[in-house]
Amino acid sequence: MLRLDGLAKRYGEVTALDGCSFTAERGSMLGFLGPNGAGKTTSMRAVFGLTVPDAGTVTWDDRQIGLPERLRFGYMPESRGLYPKMKADEQLAYFGTLHGMTEAAARASADHWLEVLGRAGRSGDPVEKLSHGNQQRVQLAVALVHDPELLILDEPFSGLDPLGVETMTAILRSRAAGGAAVVFSSHQLDLVEDICEDVAIINRGRVVLAGNVRKLKDAAPVRRLEIELANGAPDFVASLAGVHSVKAAGNRRLVTLDAATDIGRVMAEAQRAGSIRHFIYTSPSLSELFMQAVA
Amino acid sequence: MTNRRALWLVTRREILNRVRSRAFLVSGLVTLLLLMAIIVLPQLLDGGPRTYKLGVVGDEAIVEVARTLAAAETNADEEPPTIEVSRFPDVAAAETALADNDVELLMVDGATLVDDGTSGFSDSDLAGLLQRAAGSIRLAELAETSEETAANVIEILTTDPLSVRSLSGVDPSDTTRPFIAYVGLVLMYIAILTYGSWCLMGVTEEKTNRVVEVLLATLKPWHLLSGKVIGLGLLGLAQFGITIGLGYAAARLTNAIDLPALPVDSLVWLTVWFVFGYAIYAVAFGAAGALVSRSEDAQNAAAPLTILAVAGFFISFRVLDAPEGMLAVIAAMIPFTAPFVVPVRLALDAIPLWQVILSMAVMAASIVILIRVAARVYAGGLLRFGARVKIREAWRGAG
Repeated sequence: MLRLDGLAKRYGEVTALDGCSFTAERGSMLGFLGPNGAGKTTSMRAVFGLTVPDAGTVTWDDRQIGLPERLRFGYMPESRGLYPKMKADEQLAYFGTLHGMTEAAARASADHWLEVLGRAGRSGDPVEKLSHGNQQRVQLAVALVHDPELLILDEPFSGLDPLGVETMTAILRSRAAGGAAVVFSSHQLDLVEDICEDVAIINRGRVVLAGNVRKLKDAAPVRRLEIELANGAPDFVASLAGVHSVKAAGNRRLVTLDAATDIGRVMAEAQRAGSIRHFIYTSPSLSELFMQAVA
Repeated sequence: MTNRRALWLVTRREILNRVRSRAFLVSGLVTLLLLMAIIVLPQLLDGGPRTYKLGVVGDEAIVEVARTLAAAETNADEEPPTIEVSRFPDVAAAETALADNDVELLMVDGATLVDDGTSGFSDSDLAGLLQRAAGSIRLAELAETSEETAANVIEILTTDPLSVRSLSGVDPSDTTRPFIAYVGLVLMYIAILTYGSWCLMGVTEEKTNRVVEVLLATLKPWHLLSGKVIGLGLLGLAQFGITIGLGYAAARLTNAIDLPALPVDSLVWLTVWFVFGYAIYAVAFGAAGALVSRSEDAQNAAAPLTILAVAGFFISFRVLDAPEGMLAVIAAMIPFTAPFVVPVRLALDAIPLWQVILSMAVMAASIVILIRVAARVYAGGLLRFGARVKIREAWRGAG
């Protein structure tokens, strides 16, 4: 388990981290969310010793992280970095050996990942000759080549086309299913909601909301209701107990209401008012939780 | 992973990556070809013994003596130059031939030489040869009319020159030592700056293309800096060794330049001091490279170091003249000038052993200290992108 505990970091006048704490479990994916400048990259760098925090600790399985632990981590920084003139396969093998693999194992793994990522055909090209998307794949492979226990990716989905997003998702899922802890930052909240078990939302250097996505949504104090009737607008909703707000969209009403409201009774009311054409009752989306948390 | 393994991996990548790059091979090959061309071409163009074309009006007794002289002055393993003689009935005809370049020089009545005056080097080899022949004939005539015999004249002409001796015990006519001191100095300067700037550019490149952030997730900054310095140093030593070795061999084989046989101790000293000099400059250059994010800024960041190297170079020229003077003694004890000054003094055999040992100790200690300082500046500078990082910020940033 990765644990960041009370990380603090100042750069002169700027506070980058202000008591940032969260944990990431093996076998699950954690979406690390936050507005720009909230401290996501600084936190991730702290895991690799690239930023030395002024206070706080970063541990892996309750041990202080040193070089031996980092060899079993994989990192994809936000500012992608590869040797432009080095061939993709040699580059991957090199990073494999830097993580303690033997030459042979590193080569085999490099070929495997290039194959998986669909680049086996042109793996002998220098990286600078590859397209942006393919460079991105090689960058991902650098993080994966040594089969890490902890995978930390800074904005891995940025700049990917829908197919690329699909591939990236599948690979991250398979790593987590294989027992690795996967942490990635993203601004694509719907995507994170789809694929992550856990999230941590950071704002101004401090984690303001963290935990299992399902549970966080269940624990939210409000619910969303969308309702439409065949015969006219369902204006009865405004008079229900526990309603916070009602928005109209044609004959449809978008309602925010107390989580404690008995939805069975609401449905019964609706049936009395007319025949139901559309009825969605759900907990708030991750986007809504996010907006709430960083407001 | 052990430190040694990490160092080895970085070192190997530096070497392999550069050796395999086309730019490295092409530049190495071009340097080698240029060197060969400079050494060998004049020999090829020279194309064996010279043939002089001489126009003669009247008496030509001098020509025969000139031929004998030319043969006597030529090395045993070479052909002497030949003198082709064209005879003319009168000066006017001869001068026409000279103007048409049918002959290169005229001799009139064994008393006057006429050239066409267009060559800047009108005092040609042929003219000199004829002058000496005329002198020899005059001497022989004098000998005939005096008590001396012709045999004595030859003896007079072949008397040994005055012998020369020097208090320092070094034979002043032995040009080997100054030659090695001078050439060694120039080569040392070129090698240290060339391979030092490879190190500078290499570090900046890793920062420019941001690969450094991935690397530092598994490597310590000093692994990266030391591996680069060692890898490029070995490569530099090999490249320079091969180039100079082949150049020297070519020069000896073709006899193009009158090169002395190199004493082994000089070569060993040059190599030892290249290692010292390269190490201290490359480490410092590497730290300078970590302060900037763009290769355009790298030379600026390294300017103070380049100035130090230039200073060391010029001080060494003074040391060539006064190898045991105060300047030479002081400069041998300063880490950034010693690599230029000490080899010069060693080559001239003008440095006491205690100074060599002290200088090497100063060098070794400075390198150890500089590696620590540079590694910290390097570590602090590497992950700060954008504007040039001040040394003090980098030092603090690494804390």
